Amino acid sequence: MNWLSALARGAEIPVFAVAGAQGLAPVEGLRRRPGLRLVDSPRHARVLLVAGAVDAAHKTALERLHAQLPPPRGTVWWQAAPLFARGEAVAGNDPLPAIRAAAEASDPDQRPDVPPHPWQGMGPHGQGGRGMMGGNPYGRPMAMTAEDIRDGLELDAYSARFGPFLPMLPPGLALDLTLQGDVIVSVTVVSPPFEQGVQGDAPDLCAARMLRLMGIGPRAARARGALMVLPKGSGMRRRLAAWLRGGTVAETPEPLSEALPGLEWAEAVLWLASFPPSQLRAVCMERQAA
Amino acid sequence: MTGIAMPLILVLLAIAFAVTMQRIGAKTEATWPRRAPFLGGGLPETHAWQRFHVRYYPMTLLFIAFEMEMMFMYPWAVVYVETGIVALAEMGMFLGILSVGILYGWREGVFRWQ
Amino acid sequence: MIAAALTLLLALPPLVWVAAMFDRIGTGRGAVLIGPLQNGAALLLRPNTATEAPDRLNRLLAPGWYLALALVGLSVVPLAPGVVASDISTGLVLWGACEALTVVVVFLHGWSPNAPLPLIGAYRYVAIGLPAMLLSMFVLIGAALPAQSLSVVEVVEAQREIWNVIRQPLGLPLFMALGLAITLRGPFDYADGAELAGGTSAEESGPALALWHFARAAMLVAFSAMAATAFLGGHLGPVLPGPVWLLLKTLVLMALSVAAGRFFARMPPARMLTFLWVVLLPLSFASLALVGVEVLP
Repeated sequence: MNWLSALARGAEIPVFAVAGAQGLAPVEGLRRRPGLRLVDSPRHARVLLVAGAVDAAHKTALERLHAQLPPPRGTVWWQAAPLFARGEAVAGNDPLPAIRAAAEASDPDQRPDVPPHPWQGMGPHGQGGRGMMGGNPYGRPMAMTAEDIRDGLELDAYSARFGPFLPMLPPGLALDLTLQGDVIVSVTVVSPPFEQGVQGDAPDLCAARMLRLMGIGPRAARARGALMVLPKGSGMRRRLAAWLRGGTVAETPEPLSEALPGLEWAEAVLWLASFPPSQLRAVCMERQAA
Repeated sequence: MTGIAMPLILVLLAIAFAVTMQRIGAKTEATWPRRAPFLGGGLPETHAWQRFHVRYYPMTLLFIAFEMEMMFMYPWAVVYVETGIVALAEMGMFLGILSVGILYGWREGVFRWQ
Repeated sequence: MIAAALTLLLALPPLVWVAAMFDRIGTGRGAVLIGPLQNGAALLLRPNTATEAPDRLNRLLAPGWYLALALVGLSVVPLAPGVVASDISTGLVLWGACEALTVVVVFLHGWSPNAPLPLIGAYRYVAIGLPAMLLSMFVLIGAALPAQSLSVVEVVEAQREIWNVIRQPLGLPLFMALGLAITLRGPFDYADGAELAGGTSAEESGPALALWHFARAAMLVAFSAMAATAFLGGHLGPVLPGPVWLLLKTLVLMALSVAAGRFFARMPPARMLTFLWVVLLPLSFASLALVGVEVLP
């Protein structure tokens, strides 16, 4: 396997980037850097890059993410105060040398090795109890039926906390979602997106983020067809068109807990990406203050 | 005979290759936090396997109608030129009737994820 | 026949490499030639990750099935007159079966890790994969009509005078839609898209991920070879030997598929479903009807 390792030595380092406060624009700047590749899932990554300050409330979430990188893994804190004692902190403009060093590192797990829930139940796998669906097989209960908002068919509802570091959501936004299939049934905002400053609202950056979710680059988007794929009447076409022209978007989104229920996952994600981070943050903060 | 055997041999080769390659990587023990599903730092309350609310189930019924139609189409394609205009008319009618099904389904919103 | 199968097995890895290079061109990262190999090697040396209570067998086998379907689909393509790996009289039906099973395999790949994002990817891919497959079979039947046979060899022979791409101009673009769907690409990538953080492969790492990408590229090769055979006359062509023509046409179609995947944007799935059933499927009926009228004596 020596030749395989020799070949692998020249590979790009797969990096999972977590954008903290003021971190979105610097992370976007890394996207075309040779020598590293930003990936969408920590499973694909070798190095966890935390760019920009993440407040201590998100420490557990960050530790969970850290644990999901397959070992060996490394951590880099770029313009961020380390929340736990792994990896190296860099303050300068270029995190690449630190990322290279982290790609040789091997962090141990940060979370304790215990199942999410004790395996309660009557069977050998923790199953049994209430009907067929009770107990905690493999540390978690099974999903149970609930009402649906679209067709009234009672099927299983999936409840989970999405974020705060999901790459398709604005960084920092954590939502408690209940899904029926891939349609969102209820939404609670747990934490608002991070402050990104003026840079985070830059039209080209916002457009690029939205277009990436649609699977194309900005050059392909110049064709009018790219706007046609967005649903009519949601304002997404108007906002994306404005960004593509180089203009800014100053619309205020509806509160998330009212706008998202009833949307299918892809529509919801595109809708969130069609607002600048500052506007989303403002509307989430308003809700929390009230 | 070999004509039928060849696809089977190729399937076996591909599976053997894939299973062997997956043994290359480094071995690690799987701890609980490592195994949690990726939700960007969030956690689910339940397992992901569920009676999934498939929003396109009326579409699959429409699909079955067309899939059965496809079965008739294979032999039809072979004898088409011999049979001539009759074959064209027959299949045209069949497809025409099924297409009304698409229009009806469209009106009823079966493609709309509801 | 065995020679043809060996040729395919030898030609597939380099063609997969070329497919990975096409994917890299224009991304601005350089190292077009060696980059895919290095990244692949690095992935192979990383560990596979377990998930909470996965379906282990299906998780292990899904990339293998995908690769197997690509290989079987490729095996019905004649490399030269009379040189076919799977020489059966119903090659088009076998290819259709590979298309249909691809939907099943991608579903299994998303189902097996027992995680939310892959599961959503799996279910919505089925919604889009089914009509896309239907559409492709209508245009392939269109290619079979002038040949009066379901044998891929006969389909090529029937194009001696004029290629199907000229005789049935709608066929190839519609078939490309299927190509994008079964290779999980661009506008039809409802399984592995960015809005699901990698979808069905979001939980995969190491060799399992490398193999999934390998199989996906192999499927691109198989699709391009099939499209070249059904619409561009396969191994037919002047001066150069047959296999060279087939290779050239396959490479052109691979490049076209990669370009199309980057140019067209992905719609929300419900919109795409409507578009497939209401626009593309009737177009394929129209294409079939035109071919039908044209080949009547």
